[in-house]
Amino acid sequence: MRLFKSLTLLMLALTFITTQAQESKKYEGPILVTSAGQSADVKLAGLLLKKQKLEAETITMAKAEDLKGVKTLIVVPGFSSKGLGAAGISADEELKRVQELLKQAAELKIPVVLLHIGGKARRQGQSDNFIKEVAGVSSYMIVVEQGNEDGLFTELAKKQKVKLELVSKIPLAAEPLGKLFK
Amino acid sequence: MKIDHKIVASFLLFLMTVVCIVSGVEFLDMRTPDVIYPSEDLTKIGKLSDYFEELKDGSGDTDIYFFEGKEPGATVLLLCGTHPNEASGFIAGVLATENVKIKAGRLLIIPQACLSGFSCTDPMEGYPQSYTLESKSGERKFRFGSRVSNPLDQWPDPLVYSHFPSGQKLSGFETRNLNRSYPGRPDGTFTEKVGYAIVQLIKKEKIDLAFDLHEAAPEIPIINAIIYHEKSEDIGLNAILNLEFRDLRYAPERSPENFHGLSHREWGDNTDVYPFLMETCNPIQGRLRGRTNSELILTGKSPQYLAAQETGKLRIEYDAEGVPLDKRVARHLQGFLEIVNSYNEFFPEKTILLEGLPEYEDLLENGLSNYLK
Repeated sequence: MRLFKSLTLLMLALTFITTQAQESKKYEGPILVTSAGQSADVKLAGLLLKKQKLEAETITMAKAEDLKGVKTLIVVPGFSSKGLGAAGISADEELKRVQELLKQAAELKIPVVLLHIGGKARRQGQSDNFIKEVAGVSSYMIVVEQGNEDGLFTELAKKQKVKLELVSKIPLAAEPLGKLFK
Repeated sequence: MKIDHKIVASFLLFLMTVVCIVSGVEFLDMRTPDVIYPSEDLTKIGKLSDYFEELKDGSGDTDIYFFEGKEPGATVLLLCGTHPNEASGFIAGVLATENVKIKAGRLLIIPQACLSGFSCTDPMEGYPQSYTLESKSGERKFRFGSRVSNPLDQWPDPLVYSHFPSGQKLSGFETRNLNRSYPGRPDGTFTEKVGYAIVQLIKKEKIDLAFDLHEAAPEIPIINAIIYHEKSEDIGLNAILNLEFRDLRYAPERSPENFHGLSHREWGDNTDVYPFLMETCNPIQGRLRGRTNSELILTGKSPQYLAAQETGKLRIEYDAEGVPLDKRVARHLQGFLEIVNSYNEFFPEKTILLEGLPEYEDLLENGLSNYLK
């Protein structure tokens, strides 16, 4: 019994230390913002960073070579058929681009922040494919609550052992986003 | 007992006459114009044929309500009723026409852009021909029309519709869809002529900011969205963030550059205007809607959609409360007002100042009936 208690305490302590480490981890610029699924939410993300007076480059279809010199990659997952139409690519091509980008980010040890602000409109189906892809390499997640009603992000963050910050509205995502870099 | 054939024939003839008269009266009822009572700030009522004479006195010659402020400013076009089976866009236009006051700039409202489509319903859909709303003056009836122009104005549909000038191919039915017809052409089909006249209006009136109000079925991914041309992006995104503060969620959708014929694409490409298209959720348009009647237009309550939502397959907020017309109209008007505010922030030297339109919360609290004359 004593051993069980000790192990439980140890695990709790480790979880606490890990969470603290994630929270205290500072992200730095240059920041690259990109989409995973081509929803226009990526443009809103750019606006949120601007409101926090953070300089960031937004390339909706960023490729692996765009990561040169980048210190933080913010990925905004969300599928949009109109967005893909505007970009003139298929969902498969977009997924391949995202996979290559994330692979390169991992190789260059560039931290990836997942920013999901599209709520229910950017969930399920194709959107979830992109979300899972990005979540698999993310070190931090900021999510508008409406997109997490089924607990998908909670589950993904737990699995990935990363901090999940939930906000009630899109504009409120600006603050935790800003805090990461300050 | 021997049946007298003459009596049977006379009875059947009488019965058929009654059926023909009843259905004929119903058919002709769709040609009775909807009545709109403009606010005191109305400057004039124009016609679409003022911009393309060939439409004069025809079924595409819709009314344009002009509201001009004392102070100069931007000119805004609020185009509604592109698809006459999308009630919230039309009623938002009626409500705006009957309530708006203008201090600076000019507002042009076209409540029934596809006037022809208001004179029929879509075949095989079982749609009601009209619905009734309470107003300050009692009950008012409004037509619930077709998604496209009346086939009596444009027939037959080709197997494949080739959009002018892009050559994009769409199904033949879309040849009568106003929102696939832009920029239109003066020697084209009836619907292309209407689209052409609207583009001429935008050019001649030097419209700065333009809206096209729509609805779509709950399963369509772009409902509750604001769709914008790339040049309107900053204005649109700023408005979407401001709407969020009211707990009103609108998905931003950028107009695809290679999808032609739509207002948000062709108005932006062919004129100087900043175009926006907004969509609300309308269960009567959906495939799962169940019983199809005027009640469904007004309440947006569909047990079938509720069941579908509970499966977790729908990507919208939908509950037992439904999506009532009041709420859909309120969304359109609030979206319109926030985009106008956002435009004013970006162009402070050329603003448009509107009053008299209810805010989202007020409209929900007081109901449509308190804003319809």
